[in-house]
Amino acid sequence: MRQLFLIAFRNLVTHRRRTLMLGGAIAGVTMLLVVLLGLLNGIRSTILESATTLMTGQVNVAGFFKVTAGQSAPVVTHYKKVLEVIRPQVPELDYVTERGRGWAKLVSDTGSLQVGVNGIDISNEPGFRRVVQVQQGSLDALTEPGTILLFQEQATRLGVRVGDVITLSSYTLRGAANTVDVKVAAIARNVGLLSMFNTYVPAVTLRALYALNEDSTGAMMLYLKDIRDVPKVEARLREVLPAAGFQLMDKDPRAFFQKFEVVNREGWTGQKLDVTNWQDEIAFVQWTLTAITWLSFVLIGILLTIIAVGIMNTLWIAIRERTREIGTLRAIGMQRMRVLAMFLVEALSLSLASALFGALLGLLVCALINAAHLHAPITVQLFLMREEVHLAVLPSALLGSVLLITGCTTAISLIPSFLAARLQPVTAMHQVG
Amino acid sequence: MAPIVSIVDVYKEYSLGKTLVPALRGVSLDVVAGEFISIAGPSGSGKTTLLNLIGCVDVATRGTVVVAGRNTAELSERELTSLRLNTIGFIFQSFNLVPVLSVFQNVEFPLLLQRKLSAPERRKRVMLLLEQVGIATHADHRPSELSGGQRQRVAVARALVGSPQLVLADEPTANLDSVTGEHIIDLMKELNERDGTTFIFSTHDARVMSHANAVIRLEDGQIVGREKPLGGAQAAGMH
Repeated sequence: MRQLFLIAFRNLVTHRRRTLMLGGAIAGVTMLLVVLLGLLNGIRSTILESATTLMTGQVNVAGFFKVTAGQSAPVVTHYKKVLEVIRPQVPELDYVTERGRGWAKLVSDTGSLQVGVNGIDISNEPGFRRVVQVQQGSLDALTEPGTILLFQEQATRLGVRVGDVITLSSYTLRGAANTVDVKVAAIARNVGLLSMFNTYVPAVTLRALYALNEDSTGAMMLYLKDIRDVPKVEARLREVLPAAGFQLMDKDPRAFFQKFEVVNREGWTGQKLDVTNWQDEIAFVQWTLTAITWLSFVLIGILLTIIAVGIMNTLWIAIRERTREIGTLRAIGMQRMRVLAMFLVEALSLSLASALFGALLGLLVCALINAAHLHAPITVQLFLMREEVHLAVLPSALLGSVLLITGCTTAISLIPSFLAARLQPVTAMHQVG
Repeated sequence: MAPIVSIVDVYKEYSLGKTLVPALRGVSLDVVAGEFISIAGPSGSGKTTLLNLIGCVDVATRGTVVVAGRNTAELSERELTSLRLNTIGFIFQSFNLVPVLSVFQNVEFPLLLQRKLSAPERRKRVMLLLEQVGIATHADHRPSELSGGQRQRVAVARALVGSPQLVLADEPTANLDSVTGEHIIDLMKELNERDGTTFIFSTHDARVMSHANAVIRLEDGQIVGREKPLGGAQAAGMH
């Protein structure tokens, strides 16, 4: 085997120009793959962190309350009783927060916006301060009733600053129009799509807007010690809540605001709980990840095809140039499998070295992009879920890229290598050229 | 003594489009171990084809080829390769050394394939052969750094390193000047006499032929004679 590696190495060195061209192409594709995976993972981790803080827990117990069959609101009544059932059943629980949910019009002196309004208890939101980067004002000010947290883009569109007063306008459960004046307590940096239609007010303010009592909320958001326990906990809650006498909606893996139409069509009135996980609640943004993933794979697929043709051609040329050598080696007693191995070792050596180099290059590019704090255009921010381009390369993605590219290129080289091994020694020895 | 090569009524035809071109027509030949035989004949007479059949790198269309007691028609591709590795050494007209390996590594290669000797044993064996062919001082050189004669010496060492019973040489002196060619044949003859290795080589050259114990004459794919060669001086005169 040592001899095969030696032959492979020396052949690669001998044909330096060819090796550099092909190796460069393989390294380039690997680098691109690492950067794309870094981008995808960056978006995924941002979504996971941002979304599971700003708009969903890891597991949610929410629901709809219907005064009449055709009119629903995202409200859970008697939520403290629900929590009493949940807590002892979920030992995996780290902490739980309750959030009011609503949809209202924000009106300022110069503009208006339709946004989702979340009622929060900021003192009970440990993840919030990690994700929300306040540019003006303070999150602590949200402990005061009649305050609001806006994101930069919203503040710009409304033309307001910290300290300004705006009006929240919506309808109560009974259909009465209601308004609440709130003071801008903080303005935070945009968090992509999630900050386009979310604002935060103290829970008490939201209850005032919708004329709800203190025992009502929008959702109980459960954060677990280990996010991998989500399916297990979700399944358990789907059993224990009906057993405790609560009515439960069928599983519908969508965000709560996408369910109004379906819920309003159903004939029941009163309260129904809905158990969802974080992936359900951000299903509407998952398409961006899916689209980018597919786009990446199509791009990588095309590049891999080009590389495949390159490798095939290069090996064809190498085999043609070395036909006499193959014949000689076969004549002096080299078995076909070893001829196959000889060419595979050559392809593997080139692929592995190039892929490793490409992966390191990709890592470097990612580090440079992160260090440069590249500000993304607003439309791109929607997909990135943050203002800056952020690439997060996982060691597994790095290793996977190297293995994928090495595996593919080596597999491709099987065809010419196999044909080289099939050469009859007599044909190969008398080949001219 | 049992022949090391026994060929009985062998035919070999090549297809050239729809035409079948006969290369050998009913050749029969026995070669006894230890012989130093030359196959002579004009171009296209079937010398290389005959060597290819004996060397198990090609198969006969009809007839029987027995090498070292084994009927080559009954052997699988793997067995034929193994037979070549352990029984036959090859010396080619164009040397056919692996260009990216050093002299030492080229000669060591068959031993690596055989997997019979340890690394120190291989080293000892290779250096012994390189000394015998007079090229030990060039062990670390690449083939491209050697003259034609030196390359053919390396090829001879490679052919002999695995201790084959039979060495086949297809026009081993064709790409060498006459003096170097003589040296190579002398070297082969010396190894034949000392170790008893059987040599079968093809050549056009009457002076080269003169070293052989016997000359097999081929014409149009048929053996037309088996004779004792002329003496060196007579051969030189013919040449």
